[in-house]
Formats: sequence, structure tokens, C-alpha cells
Amino acid sequence: MIRSALKISLPILFGFLPLGIAFGLLFQELGYPWYFASLMGIFVYAGAAQFMAIGLISSGVGLLEIAISTFFLNSRHMFYGLAFLEDFGKWNLRKLYLIFGLTDETYALLTSIKVPKNLTKKHYYFFITLFAQIYWVLGCTIGALTANAWSFNTNGMEFAATALFVVLLIEQWIKVRRLLPFIIALIASIIALLFFIKHMLLVAIILSIGSIVLLRLIKIQSYE
Amino acid sequence: MNEINYLLAVILVMTVATYITRLTPFLLFGKGQESPLFNYISKSTPPMVMTILVIYMLKEVEYLTFEIVHTFIALLVTTGLHIYKRNALLSIVSGTIVYMIFVQT
Repeated sequence: MIRSALKISLPILFGFLPLGIAFGLLFQELGYPWYFASLMGIFVYAGAAQFMAIGLISSGVGLLEIAISTFFLNSRHMFYGLAFLEDFGKWNLRKLYLIFGLTDETYALLTSIKVPKNLTKKHYYFFITLFAQIYWVLGCTIGALTANAWSFNTNGMEFAATALFVVLLIEQWIKVRRLLPFIIALIASIIALLFFIKHMLLVAIILSIGSIVLLRLIKIQSYE
Repeated sequence: MNEINYLLAVILVMTVATYITRLTPFLLFGKGQESPLFNYISKSTPPMVMTILVIYMLKEVEYLTFEIVHTFIALLVTTGLHIYKRNALLSIVSGTIVYMIFVQT
């Protein structure tokens, strides 16, 4: 179980490690001890929000504003749980952790994989989520610790995150084999990019889900 | 010391704000949402989110520059390898290395 989860979570390692290191490097410029970068990875555990926080912390922004910005930046995550209402099982510590660990990358991976027949889904999900966070915390820590000793040219390494999502997009296509959701999301993204570039992610997700609900309702109506 | 307290408070506030977003659907919809519409939404969301995330990652690419060519070739490597071998690690690492070589030379 653990070996299989480790193996299947490795793509996240290649997405998270470079991003985490980049975060750690930037975070060090604030002048706090290195372990605060690790703490952020352990508790906040949200890539984009952590990057945003560096800017906000350096200008000493108030806590309320930080809370609201974080909430809106991460509000797309409100839709991620929909795919796992059943799969995360009963309310217990494991479920609370699975929900805590539902980042873009974990969500993308968990919705793309097939759980091996002999394994329990929620246990398998738990280890994948745990490993993913370990990679992230490791990245944040390495970045912060080695901020001054960095000689390897990391330019372009951020492409790993893009490549990860592309791979998972192909996996989704193999799994779903219906063009409609992809096309709707494409159109919604273009609209969001044109008119709401600052909140592109959230607007695109709301537009996509809204359209698919509307289409479905129209279809049901026309049958009646 | 005050600065440390500020940072600790920031971490606390961000942790709670992030967790609320991830927890919301589980609080709003308990288990046993059996309506077909709901099933349809939760099945269609992953492919839509993935499409949006890929476009989001690419939105910073400046067009009419070499960057778009580099990105396109790196994407081609990742996509091609993934369709051919279906090994996620291989596809991600190869595409990233190709991209890094382009950017750094």
C-alpha cells in the first residue's frame, strides 16, 4: 500500500519540490528564521497563497486583509471536495486531514488515478495526500535553508507544475472520453481571461460548473 | 519578538482561511447526495478544473516571443511522451528539462 502510494505520488514530487524550493528562497528574503518556511508548508499548505503571503507580510498587511485575500485566492478549493464526498469516508481525523490536504495537485492526482483493487480507497488516498505534503514541506525547507548557498540554475524549473497538470489533463481525457466538459472549461477560461484576469481561476470554475448545470437542466426539461 | 508574533498570527489566519475553503463542500453536502444532477456535476468537475489549471499556468506566456515556441515544444514533449509511454514521471521530467535547456541557453 505505502509503496504503491509512494510510486503514484511521485509526479507531485516533481511539481512540488521546485515550487516549494522557490517559495523557501523567496521567503528567506523576509529575514525570518528558516523554519517558518517549513511551518507555513505544514500548516497553511497552499502554494499560491503562500507566495501571495510573502508580499503581504513584507508590507505588514493587517490580519483581516490577509484572511480575506487567502480565502478568495483559495475559494476554488470549495469545488474540489465535491468529487470526494463519499470517498473520504466517515468523519474522523483521517477525513479531516484528507480535506486539509486537498490542494490543486492532490485533487488533480486523486481524481485521475485508479485505486488498485486490493487496497482501501481512503487509506490509499491518505498516504498519497501525506506524501504530497511531505514533498511540499521538504521543498519549502530546502529552499529556505539553502537560500544563501544556491548555485544551481533553477530557471525554468517552474515548468514542472505546468507539465504535471498537462499529464493529469491527458489522464482525465483517457478516463472521461467526453469532449463537452473540456470544451466548456476552455470557453469559460477564455472568457475569464478576457474579463476577469485577476480572478481567472475562480471565475472560470464557476462559469464552467454553471454552464454544465444549465445544459443538464435544459436537457432534462426537453425530455419531459 | 513582535514580528514573530505577527508572523505566527498570519500563519494561523491563513491556515484557518484555507481550511474553510476545503472543508465547505463537506459541511454543505453530507454523504448520500444521490441526485443525478449532483453526480453529474462532481463527475464533470475534474476534467474542467484540469483544463482551467493548464490554461492558468500558460496565461503568463508572452506571445510573439521565443517563449511561446519554447513552451510549445516543451508541452509537445510532455504530451507526446505521455501518450506514447503513459509514464507521468518521464513525461514531466523530460518536458521540464527541455524547457530549462531552452530558457537557460
